[in-house]
Amino acid sequence: MAVPAASGSIDFLLRVQNPDGGWGYLPHKQSWLEPTALAMLALHELPGSAKALEKAWAAVRSWRRPDGGWRPCPSVDQSTWATSLAVTLHCVRGIYDSPFRQGIEWLARTRGQEGSWWKRVVNRLQPNLVEHDARLQGWPWLPANSSWVEPTAHALVALKKSLPDLKRSRAPLLPAVEARIEMAEKMMLDRRCADGGWNYGNKRVQDVTLPSYPETTALALLGLQGRPLPEVRTSLDWARGLYGRTNSRLARAWLAICLRNHGAVVDPPEPGAPTDDVLVAALEALGSPHGNFALLRTEWPAGRPHSASGGSAARRSAEETVTASSPQERP
Amino acid sequence: MSRPWSRRSFVPLAGAALAGQNGCRPAPAVVRSAVAVLKAGSYAGDLADVIDRGVGLCGLDVRGRRVLLKPNLVEFDSTTSINTHPSVVAAAVEVFRRRGAEVLIGEGPGHRRDTMHLAEQAGYHASVAGFERLFIDLNRDDVSPLPQFGEHSEIYLPNSVLGVDLIVSMPKMKAHHWAGATLSMKNLFGVVPGAVYGWPKNFLHYVGIERSIVELNRHLRNTFAIVDGIVGMEGNGPIQGSPRQCGVLVMGRDLVAVDATCCRIMGIDPRRVRYLTMAAGLGQIEARHIDQRGEPPGAVRTDFRLTEPHQHLRLAG
Repeated sequence: MAVPAASGSIDFLLRVQNPDGGWGYLPHKQSWLEPTALAMLALHELPGSAKALEKAWAAVRSWRRPDGGWRPCPSVDQSTWATSLAVTLHCVRGIYDSPFRQGIEWLARTRGQEGSWWKRVVNRLQPNLVEHDARLQGWPWLPANSSWVEPTAHALVALKKSLPDLKRSRAPLLPAVEARIEMAEKMMLDRRCADGGWNYGNKRVQDVTLPSYPETTALALLGLQGRPLPEVRTSLDWARGLYGRTNSRLARAWLAICLRNHGAVVDPPEPGAPTDDVLVAALEALGSPHGNFALLRTEWPAGRPHSASGGSAARRSAEETVTASSPQERP
Repeated sequence: MSRPWSRRSFVPLAGAALAGQNGCRPAPAVVRSAVAVLKAGSYAGDLADVIDRGVGLCGLDVRGRRVLLKPNLVEFDSTTSINTHPSVVAAAVEVFRRRGAEVLIGEGPGHRRDTMHLAEQAGYHASVAGFERLFIDLNRDDVSPLPQFGEHSEIYLPNSVLGVDLIVSMPKMKAHHWAGATLSMKNLFGVVPGAVYGWPKNFLHYVGIERSIVELNRHLRNTFAIVDGIVGMEGNGPIQGSPRQCGVLVMGRDLVAVDATCCRIMGIDPRRVRYLTMAAGLGQIEARHIDQRGEPPGAVRTDFRLTEPHQHLRLAG
């Protein structure tokens, strides 16, 4: 069993788990699904974490709603983007039961509202308002809202991770899920900023070109794992540069997870000061050299038109071409 | 200090009394709202003194109260003026503490996930002593529901916002490419938690920007505003516009009146700004219903450049 490099983060996570089994964004705060899911991924199969994980899993399962989605925290009665994280956790734990299937169904029927006819009419009347193809729908943060990069990235990871089970069980939902993945990847590529990365999801607004952000660039590339390398090469190069430039610990942690899953050699992060930010601690542990970053790895489904250059082949190629800069190279 | 009665505030009430004498049904008395406009030439000046005078002119008592300062932190770009300047926030912390309040600072940026990093880039850590201890990332705070938000049965808001005695909205004075202007009322978008509604808080756009502004301000009534108009943003705000030196801080308890006054200073007719007309029941828009203290808005008027779709908002004269 690998010993995580970020053992300080692991100890911290085990120490600040809430009595209800979840984690808050900060210690002693309300449990939320996002920090809980990422803490669970960071702790997955680590020695001494089994009890904490079982308690956390019970909490996550209890946050499911009757519509098949997941609430973002116990006190919010609304299914949201966090459903993707719950589905990913099911895949990581190998639990493909009815709640898992209902989570997939929720994701399959939830889509960005920008594809609705009236939104498309508005876009046609004001073409320079926001420049993207409204026919390409990903996932919103909340149902009946527009698609954005981050929830779409998490949904892509969740659905791609669920594909082996959907295929094995010949689930009737499989064609719909594959179609959603295909369209969402196109949406991601369509929303890419001119610099090669991604921001929250608008590349141009009112004739102004917008810059990308490091954290959303990392997430978008995680969602696009398996795409042919030529489609993402410039973005991986951009992400590598961002890893060297940004001082945001959250962004650097997401970039490390992303680049490692794309096969890049990433220098270990400089030892940071202890943090009380649960999300940062979980992500840094996950993205450390011996961390569980591969739990967010996805394969492009075999048999798809561009599978020959996707999946592990793309990663091997990326490894040859992408080496994340060391922190010393930061300006 | 505040003036309980002035000639200008007496006139509408006298008019209403006369109407009653003539046998007409008396018009409801208009409660005039005090708005202080004070000159502040640069961020290097004694801003605590300016804010203290403004708080006094508006008759705000914060002794023993828990106050949340809500600046406007959006993105960082060193070439422009997107965010509330940290010196204004530092001065407000000093003033409210001196006046006996417990002070917190909270913000929930609409695009960026790493709020502390954004605050550091914007200079908050360096300018506000003990910033990390005072600051609450409202995007990730514990939340509770409030009933009714537009057509929705509830909205979830941070407990840190719901639990304080006073929210001080501290926006940057900016032109805005959707709403015309973004000031103290729209600044409350930042209290809506990203952990529920996302980055961006697209839910508010689907409810309608103007309607969401009004709904948030309907829910959050214990408010005060300090608008950073020392250097504002004109043109394609709230992010892509250009800095505009204006040299004022604008303060008041009635956020509608504060925003209407800021509009007049920016050369915008507040009666043409949709969110303000929709908020008429929450505060005063008409100049005659606002007790302007400090500088008259006309004396510091600095026309902000407006994008083409907003040219019709320009104030005459």
